Amino acid sequence: MKFKSRKKEQLFWGYLFLAFPLLLLSIFVFFPIGFAFVVSFYDWNLLIPDKPFVGLGNYFELFKDPVFIKAIKNTIIYTIGVVPVQTLLSLFLAFIMNQKIRGRAFFRTAFYIPAITSSVVTSIIFVWIYSKPGLLNYGLNALGVDSNIDWLTNPVTVLPSIMILNVWTTSGYFMVSFLAGLQNIPASLYEAAKIDGANQWQQFWKITVPMVRPVTYFVVIMSLIGCFQVFDQIFIMSSGGPDNASTTMSYFVYQNSFKYFRFGFGAASAAVLALLIFATTLIQKKYFPPDVY
Amino acid sequence: MKHVFLIPFCTLLLLSCTKQADYVRFTSWQSSPTEERIIRQTLTDFEKEHPDVAYQFQPIPGNYPEKIQLMLGTGKAPDLFWLKGDTAPAYMDFEVLEPLDPFVSIDQNFDEADFFPVFRDAFRHKGKNYGYAKDFNAYVLFYNKKLFAEAGLIGPPKNWEELYDFSKRLTKDTDGDGKNDQFGFVIEPSIDIALPFALQNGGELVAEDGTVRVGEPEFIEALNFFMSLYRDGVSTIPADQGAAWMGDVFSREQCAMTISGSWLIPYLRDNSPDLEYGVSELPQGKKRGTLAFTVAMVIPKQSNHKKEAWTMLSYLAGKEGMKTWTNSGIALPTRKSVALSNGFYEDSVLNTFMQSVEYAKLYKINMKERWYDESQAAMQGIFYKNKDIEKTLKELGKTLEKYTLD
Repeated sequence: MKFKSRKKEQLFWGYLFLAFPLLLLSIFVFFPIGFAFVVSFYDWNLLIPDKPFVGLGNYFELFKDPVFIKAIKNTIIYTIGVVPVQTLLSLFLAFIMNQKIRGRAFFRTAFYIPAITSSVVTSIIFVWIYSKPGLLNYGLNALGVDSNIDWLTNPVTVLPSIMILNVWTTSGYFMVSFLAGLQNIPASLYEAAKIDGANQWQQFWKITVPMVRPVTYFVVIMSLIGCFQVFDQIFIMSSGGPDNASTTMSYFVYQNSFKYFRFGFGAASAAVLALLIFATTLIQKKYFPPDVY
Repeated sequence: MKHVFLIPFCTLLLLSCTKQADYVRFTSWQSSPTEERIIRQTLTDFEKEHPDVAYQFQPIPGNYPEKIQLMLGTGKAPDLFWLKGDTAPAYMDFEVLEPLDPFVSIDQNFDEADFFPVFRDAFRHKGKNYGYAKDFNAYVLFYNKKLFAEAGLIGPPKNWEELYDFSKRLTKDTDGDGKNDQFGFVIEPSIDIALPFALQNGGELVAEDGTVRVGEPEFIEALNFFMSLYRDGVSTIPADQGAAWMGDVFSREQCAMTISGSWLIPYLRDNSPDLEYGVSELPQGKKRGTLAFTVAMVIPKQSNHKKEAWTMLSYLAGKEGMKTWTNSGIALPTRKSVALSNGFYEDSVLNTFMQSVEYAKLYKINMKERWYDESQAAMQGIFYKNKDIEKTLKELGKTLEKYTLD
């Protein structure tokens, strides 16, 4: 084949190699995303051939639906609760794991194991831990705290309980990201700080935290998205109960689409969720950009 | 190595391009190995009887309703499948099922009149029959004979007063730590456990014509009694005992009585074989009342093998197939002749279920699917947030108005 310029040739081969994955992505990712938006403007029931166009009807109905409002509230509380704790905890863990301490490999593995364990398995284990005769109440009682509640059917504790589980399972994963970031920090910075008389604490806040900022940016975004989409833990541990105290947006989407036969309505709520995630990410990008130095 | 993923993908593509299979596809869910064994036995018998009907049994192990919905929506539905009674109204309303009356009228062997009336009309919608009940189950009362004897009680409670009184006498602290650890009764924050009490009090969730009745005094009064069992501490709930369901609490002898269907029998056999239990009809309120659960066999409109599918349905829900299917007591027959020939009226346990059929109300709510989660949320509010019963039920009534079928 003849190409007018070297650049054209490179472009041709580049796209040729990309073509197939791009095709697959288009069929299985981009098209469904676009199509979901289209569906959200219809009263779309899989079982009925007649699918009337309702315009923004689904969206208007959504914001009049008390369960959806509750789901938004729960999702936001969940995210606000989990993201900062998770980010700080994983940074802290990474900082410790980056020191030369005995049994470092063991601790790294131990913290990472929850991340590679299936969320279904961890959820079921935590269902037992949180149950009335479970490990948590047993431990609290042993410590002298009188506790006899079922953490997952109590409307006040259900959401925080699931939040704690999520912090535990994903901190290990983000810890690894932070570890990679920490190892890129030149040792000379710490040496210089030591000469200037900075203690461990000051080194952490003045050197480590600013230097891993790009990683923090990545971690916060991934963790935000993960929290907004929380589904499996809710599905397994509480089914959104009691009295919708733990219904989140993606659980609402699932229920409406697959249980109530309302794909259009479900798609509309998914679109709202997508917009919420998109907006949050934009705000973060604008006000907390990854690189300021 | 990307091309490795291509192989299954292309196979899938090829498979979906091939023309419709020329055999009947029969789909069910599976809840236990025993159940699967009996289904296969029944199907083997069917083969002998009808060697001309080619079929394939394709069970779906999990997420059954979601899967069936997608299969129907994409035109790939099996030719014959099980449909849970409580989800049936939506499917009948969407007109995706084939009316079976034309088949029944020309099928000599089917004998529709043999079905108990409550099950014969279970899947009748706007004058057409869309399915036949393959078996049923009903809520009855299980009681622990040993605990009853310890408390000096002989028979099971016959009415609400006795239920409350017995529960009180059976509730005690066995290990002396000042907290009750044996309860008389167990209930659950679930609408289907509360509903029998409402029925016994002349109440109803939704009337046959679609009027929402959950906010009416009969229902409120029944739920007040139901909740008094828990709030007065003579009944427990599974969550309080760290149990998964009521049968679990009963099998651990943490309660002396429970409401359950016959699915508790194999569970008790496996988990506490030494537990001596008795079974009786539910205690009555103003009148007798219980819930019956059933599963239909249905043929979708889109099927290309309706005639063969009907032959299969007619056998499986017919006298012979149902006899094999229900013989072990794993499920109960919806045909009177089968109950008689299986000797279920002579069996003290199974007879209780057969007697309940006489007044049982079908657990089939003529509403859009969301009624269930809204009702569960209301029940959870009452149990876990101590919400006012009357107010919550009236609100639920208003919410449910939105989900009536027209």
